[in-house]
Amino acid sequence: MRKALVLPLVGVMAVVAGCGSSAPSGKAIKPGPINIGVIAPFSGPAAEFGTLISAPCYAASDLINQAGGVLGHNMQCTPVDDTGDPADAVPNVTRAIATISNFDLAVGLETNTAATTVPLVNRAQINMVTTNGLTNYDTTTDKYFWRLTPADDANGAAMVQYAYNKGYKRIAVVFENNSTDTGNTPGIEKAAAKLGVKLVTNTTIPADASSYSSVASSVISLHPQAIIFDADPQSTATFLSNYSQLTGGKLLPMITATDSLTPDWYNSVSAAVGTGFIFNKVDLVGSYFSTSTQAFYTYRNALLANPKTHALADTLATVGPPASIYDGINIMALAMLMAKSADPSVYNAYVNDVVTPKAGAVVVDNFAAGKKALSEGKKIQYVGVLGAVTFNRYHNFAGAFAAARFTGSTTSVNAAIMPGSEISKLLG
Amino acid sequence: MHLLVQSIGFGVAAGAVLALGAVGFTLQFGISNVLNISYGALMSVGAFLGLFMLGLGWNIWLVMVIAGLAVGACSVVLNRGLITPLVRKGLAPFGLVIVTVSAGIVLEYVIVAVAGPATQTYGNRSGATLNFLGWTLTTAQVVIFAIAVVLMLGLHLLLTQTQLGRAMRATSANRTLARSCGIATSRISDIAWFMSGTFCGMAGIALAITIESFDFTLGSIFLIPMIAAAVLGGVGQPYGAMIGGLVVGVASSVSSAYWDPAYQSVVAFGIIIVMLLVRPRGLFGSTTATRKLLA
Repeated sequence: MRKALVLPLVGVMAVVAGCGSSAPSGKAIKPGPINIGVIAPFSGPAAEFGTLISAPCYAASDLINQAGGVLGHNMQCTPVDDTGDPADAVPNVTRAIATISNFDLAVGLETNTAATTVPLVNRAQINMVTTNGLTNYDTTTDKYFWRLTPADDANGAAMVQYAYNKGYKRIAVVFENNSTDTGNTPGIEKAAAKLGVKLVTNTTIPADASSYSSVASSVISLHPQAIIFDADPQSTATFLSNYSQLTGGKLLPMITATDSLTPDWYNSVSAAVGTGFIFNKVDLVGSYFSTSTQAFYTYRNALLANPKTHALADTLATVGPPASIYDGINIMALAMLMAKSADPSVYNAYVNDVVTPKAGAVVVDNFAAGKKALSEGKKIQYVGVLGAVTFNRYHNFAGAFAAARFTGSTTSVNAAIMPGSEISKLLG
Repeated sequence: MHLLVQSIGFGVAAGAVLALGAVGFTLQFGISNVLNISYGALMSVGAFLGLFMLGLGWNIWLVMVIAGLAVGACSVVLNRGLITPLVRKGLAPFGLVIVTVSAGIVLEYVIVAVAGPATQTYGNRSGATLNFLGWTLTTAQVVIFAIAVVLMLGLHLLLTQTQLGRAMRATSANRTLARSCGIATSRISDIAWFMSGTFCGMAGIALAITIESFDFTLGSIFLIPMIAAAVLGGVGQPYGAMIGGLVVGVASSVSSAYWDPAYQSVVAFGIIIVMLLVRPRGLFGSTTATRKLLA
């Protein structure tokens, strides 16, 4: 009786083992495209962000698919609406993980919901390229976490460095009290202390108040030379309008983050205080990359070529987080080719190989070139829009920083570049 | 001292807008006894109707009146088409609250479907800056404050000096008795919803002028402070709502001048809790009648 049971079992095990040895390692790709889950708000007040963060995904997947896809499969961007609210993000992302076929890569996972979405995605063993700036992910041990944008504290330090370079020694700091904006504060405080910049006030404001006149009045009384400010478009417009009302139209130079480079921000602020202020007194600080490389042109042309992203191309092309998603998708797709598997638990180990410089490696600046080189048996190093990427042991990469000026409603030009090493020293 | 005086001025200006909305909210609640959470979304409807009318080149203050009246009509439709039928079917008060929450969400997404989710603006409508008594206010803030005062006086005269006002007070006090006395309570209810909606729409426009830019969540954001102002004043008490709005505005403004502005709402709502602990029926409520004026 026992023998009769054991023999067939051994036979089945042998067959399973035999199949395993001939198939690629990891789970097989199901029929259909490899899905890139774009986890971002697509509804609610922050819905615009979902549109902006989807664009680089379309650009990357278009180019990947034109090059024949990955392992015989196209890549497809699938929106996963986190609504910008953790309460909605958890069920929506959980449902997406359970129901989307070939969900092998996630991008986005922005700051407002990252604390809830990153653990979910990591637990599901799906590689992610996140744009969140939370500083607690500076030293994360999440295996599937990858970030090519600086944490918010580094951005804060860069804001102070830029203010210092401009000769401002007395600065007011006003942020909206959310995790995105206040994440800058530790970096601002450290950098100000090291550079000898006096923070005359360092305060937060609630979003969407009907008036910020009292705060504006307090700031004015402290006589700062410039203000480091970041808030949603509505709150920014209200604050600036209140400030202008109290000073007879005089406004301070403003240093803010590149996330203000949106049509909403421009429209709100220009209506409140005019375009002259935006063009002449606002500096946008964020991660820097060159806009004269072949990789950049390839990226920008892909944005222009897709009807869904054409109108956004000029806005997006110069902003760090979208570029990080574009590069991140290329890196992950090339890692899949190197691993011969789209299973994140397998290709995750190849991500560093894609970007690490090595002897005899062919430097490639797009997916098609990388795929060709790999098919010829060559080693590659991907150097994309962000330039050469070096992930630290926590899967983080932060490059250089730039301060940019508005040149149009949604376009900017770099006014100054700050090396990443300079900013790192301020945080050390 | 200068900062304190200035802050009070800012608070009065902000409070006037809250008061405008709170008066409408409490008026409707006093007559119908329905906690209408869709009031916030109706405010957004008012703001977006204003945006459309401004696009036609109309004067902002004319727009405020016409958009207010249009929202008043929407409010009547909401009452006649949704609330009254459900009340007749015996839906419990809590169920009615959920219905108004749902209606509010639907209304907000109707706005998104029509106008999109992006931030909108009327442009800078603040006008010249005026300085007096140590206060620094814009022309628009002064006009909005004046409108709020005029509407309050008008409401007072309506409720105390007219047949309609007496009928409204009677309906508020005891609907069944009022009906048996020959008062057309359904019509009175319609009028109350219309007036409430008009205040609501005007508050939406006033908010949009004050904060410079807005989206479809405008009304929802300011609904809680308005309800708080109404509760502070004594639910169903228009004067109370006016004073409540000013208290919330001034408390928020003064606290943000001297303390971390991030906590301005905490201070304002903390004051409300303390005041309600002392006077559970609100500033203008009494132990014998919660609706001193309307009843």
